[in-house]
Amino acid sequence: MTSPIIEIKGLSKAFGSNVVLKKIDATVSSQEVVVVIGPSGSGKSTFLRCINLLEAPTGGEIIIEGQSLMDKKTSITGIRADVGMVFQQFNLFPHLTVLDNITLAPIQIRKLPVAKAREKALELLKKVGLSDKANMYPPSLSGGQQQRVAIARALAMEPKIMLFDEPTSALDPEMVGEVLAVMKQLAKEGMTMVVVTHEMGFAREVGDRVIFMESGYIVEQGSPAQLFENPQQERTKSFLSKVL
Amino acid sequence: MDFKFDIIWGYLPLFWKGTLYTILISLSGVALGSILGLFVGFGKMSRRWYLRWPMQSYINFFRGTPLLVQIYMVHFGLMPLILGKTNSIAAAITALSLNAAAYTAEIYRAGIQSIDKGQTEAAHSLGMTHFQTMRFIILPQAIRRMIPAFGNEFIVLVKDSSLTALITAPEIMYWAGVMKGQYIRIWEPYLTAAFIYFILTYSLSKLLNWIERKA
Repeated sequence: MTSPIIEIKGLSKAFGSNVVLKKIDATVSSQEVVVVIGPSGSGKSTFLRCINLLEAPTGGEIIIEGQSLMDKKTSITGIRADVGMVFQQFNLFPHLTVLDNITLAPIQIRKLPVAKAREKALELLKKVGLSDKANMYPPSLSGGQQQRVAIARALAMEPKIMLFDEPTSALDPEMVGEVLAVMKQLAKEGMTMVVVTHEMGFAREVGDRVIFMESGYIVEQGSPAQLFENPQQERTKSFLSKVL
Repeated sequence: MDFKFDIIWGYLPLFWKGTLYTILISLSGVALGSILGLFVGFGKMSRRWYLRWPMQSYINFFRGTPLLVQIYMVHFGLMPLILGKTNSIAAAITALSLNAAAYTAEIYRAGIQSIDKGQTEAAHSLGMTHFQTMRFIILPQAIRRMIPAFGNEFIVLVKDSSLTALITAPEIMYWAGVMKGQYIRIWEPYLTAAFIYFILTYSLSKLLNWIERKA
């Protein structure tokens, strides 16, 4: 493992008086796949959303590639362009074709020539197995297809880190596999990934490290083998006994 | 009842002129009002209280007081202050624009806030600025949803522009009043005016239906 690409120190987040994250410390190394698991309401999605500042932390520090996100001089949009995100509800742009969904940000933000952006978008669509859908509109696609387009859209920015926020939770069971397959492929190619999920099979098979969160704390973390076969904490054991 | 078509015929050129002024006044009102309403609407949505509070007051005032009162205040108060004299057409356009701004501001706000928050988050996550998110993601979707409400506002404005006859703006109702005074007849002038207004609003609603289907 190389040096950390994400460093999180004492990260706190409160919504009013409701404290969701309580001084969390974590690091993610380059090319590492970190899977975050935990019961709903444990703060794992908020944790993920703080990494690209979709939620503004109330305390602590997040450093991505040596740049502190809390530093006023750091360009937030610049950081976000380098950190891809995939949402539970896909959040594709319904008024744009699949192709335009993918090319919009590279053209507007990376200033890529249109032809180049399209070429790359088609490549990405091929990679996620949707070459024939380029000119369709998102609402006409199935959930699994939409989520794969969403992954392609994020990848088009050539991010250094990909964040996945329960990417399969809104999918019908038969579509979960196609999305996980794309994610597995990405992991194999060496993408740095932070994945919040309830897919324990994916965590075990693809994760380099698994973090278990509960009530705003990181309770335990380790390799999938350690965490799943030999959990140290009572709360981890109790959670795993319910989901495995 | 005898209905004298010949006196209507005689007034047609004036009604035609009046129709053009009605169109000018209401079209300018909706156009300027939409631009002004954009600022009022975004001001009201602002997180900064010193923008939000005045814009909220603006909307409350113009929606909570009669248009006729606003027209009189603009005509007899505001215009002499700005121009040094009264000008009925300028006053009519100004009053309708200020009034329409309050209503269109709410149309903008409702349209923008009806777009799912996930759209903004997705745009932000790709590195888009607030402006890019509005320009490429939110507004194209929101405007489509605003079209019916805008059409409605436009139709209301065409009808409400008739109030400006009271400050002698030479639009349809003004000439209907002149005609009534000349011949001391009720039905010919007012039915003619009603007929013209109806043609205007009916074609407008057909046009809007067509735009809605296209968008």
